[in-house]
Amino acid sequence: MSDLRVTIGLLFLLLGGILCGLGLVEPGLRAPLTEVNVNLYAGAAIVVFSGVMLWLGKRQS
Amino acid sequence: MTLSFVDYLILALYFVFVLGIGWLVKKRVSTSEDFLTSGRSVPVWITSLAFIAANLGAQEVIGMCASGAKYGIMTAHFYWLGAIPAMLFIGVFMMPFYYGSRARSVPEYLKLRFDEKTRTLNALTFAVMTIFSSGISMYALGLLFELVLGWSFSASVLLSAAIVLVYTFLGGLTSAIYNEVVQFFLIVLGFTPLSILAVAKAGGWRGMASHLAPVMTHTWRYIGNASQNPMGVDAFGMVAGLGFVLSFGYWCTDFLVVQRALAAHDMSAARRTPIIAAFPKMFMPFIVIVPGIAALALMKMNIGYTLPPKGASFDYDQTLTTLMAQFYPSGMLGLGLTALMASFMSGMAGNVTAFNTVFTYDIYQSYLRPNAPDQHYLWVARLTTIVGVALSVGSAYLASLYNNIMDLLQLVFSFVNAPLFATFLLGMFWKRCTGHAAFTGLLAGTAAAATTHGLTLAEGKGGWIVPLHEFPSTMAQNFWIAIFAWTICFIVTILVSLMTKRKPDSALRDLVYGLTDLKHEDVSWHQRPVTLAFIVGGLVIALNVIFW
Repeated sequence: MSDLRVTIGLLFLLLGGILCGLGLVEPGLRAPLTEVNVNLYAGAAIVVFSGVMLWLGKRQS
Repeated sequence: MTLSFVDYLILALYFVFVLGIGWLVKKRVSTSEDFLTSGRSVPVWITSLAFIAANLGAQEVIGMCASGAKYGIMTAHFYWLGAIPAMLFIGVFMMPFYYGSRARSVPEYLKLRFDEKTRTLNALTFAVMTIFSSGISMYALGLLFELVLGWSFSASVLLSAAIVLVYTFLGGLTSAIYNEVVQFFLIVLGFTPLSILAVAKAGGWRGMASHLAPVMTHTWRYIGNASQNPMGVDAFGMVAGLGFVLSFGYWCTDFLVVQRALAAHDMSAARRTPIIAAFPKMFMPFIVIVPGIAALALMKMNIGYTLPPKGASFDYDQTLTTLMAQFYPSGMLGLGLTALMASFMSGMAGNVTAFNTVFTYDIYQSYLRPNAPDQHYLWVARLTTIVGVALSVGSAYLASLYNNIMDLLQLVFSFVNAPLFATFLLGMFWKRCTGHAAFTGLLAGTAAAATTHGLTLAEGKGGWIVPLHEFPSTMAQNFWIAIFAWTICFIVTILVSLMTKRKPDSALRDLVYGLTDLKHEDVSWHQRPVTLAFIVGGLVIALNVIFW
């Protein structure tokens, strides 16, 4: 098995990508008490996190 | 709350990944030690995150959010006072003996240090307790998903249990630990946005404070008198009961967490495991407790958020899920629920992997069949994994049928656990301490706990002998039960030690302070346990001052 950081990075890249995609396709999606595009922002943050994990994992190997 | 396709997709992706990790690490398992102890080869950042994730079960997450709404930021005492000091203590002072003794489990350490009967007492109570706590947490999750999502109780219990079974069966402890790291990040990334959104909506920390009674936003200011704070606990009960007896009893002796540190690749890494884990641990209140406080503020603001009623009060256990429903749109909602599912799985896998190790080594190998070839024990360990999951599911159904039995069991286990730390403290730091004394001390401590419960009353609980004293809350009662149990165990263990024959020094090497060669570790400053412990200690003191 490759470095666990790479595995984690891939999972969150996928999850963050889905949220970002949803935020772009349906920018008007809101929960009752939110005014911002939660999916887009949270998704972007998760993609950044996955990038850090992938970078750390690759650097090691 | 209704889920859409994308929410289910996220949940399904997570399931595929956890099973995939189990399948990938399967190749590494060829002996019973690979399966049960990860062959002592896991990197320290992984053991550290697994150390807190195994404790971060669904009940913890849901319960801490509920307590945030009920008691405010005082709940953070369960982290800053009730976890961090003990995590530093085990890393700096106790790990040299656990890891250095080469014991494969906490009960095995007791066997090496004391004797067979002390080991068996600890192994049996731990094994039974682990199964029941795993069942109770499964029951709580099944109930919540039924209530919030309308999923059938059986479907969520059986599906989640089946997934945990598959990955722990395939890859053993390594698989459980690797998945705990994934689950840790999911919990953090899945719940942090909720905390940010809820706090922002409530007007930030100051905005929240302006809507709440001052006691909800201070950790220490109202603790001088038990009647002044919603927990009904005074400073001594809090510091001695939670901060010392209960906290050290759990973090320093419970095999569920200690097992993660023992999987580290060397002594230095094992010692650093709980100390590095303390860094993320001290910030967890901002993710799990603060949203609960925000929920209470939002209710006072009358903007459409409220908790469902329960009796004369509110159903605080639904704080987390109602916040999600109000703040997470489809997509993020799926990630939030996946995080909840992940927290449940990390807790359950922790229980199952600790149970199969204690059963295989401390019960099966020492009583039922010693001296068998290792492949036999590997086979037993795998089988025990299945049995452990099946028993957990069974106790979840037992809990759904007979709620009172579960309450009684939890009470009995709290009596058994309360004195434990006195035994370990004396065992590790006093070479005169004997096996007969440890055993008698534990029984006396448990009896003292039960007696205290029988003689005191709180919220209608206890007082079944003669109610001599009444506590303002069951929490205060629990803390004082622990204090009495610990003290009695400590005194009885010392007295009996002085009357019984001690083990010779040669039999205590690497097990007791003073007879263990503690090597000076030639590592850079940021890898030294003591240096790291001072940094953590400083940060925790700062947090306490900020939220004083």
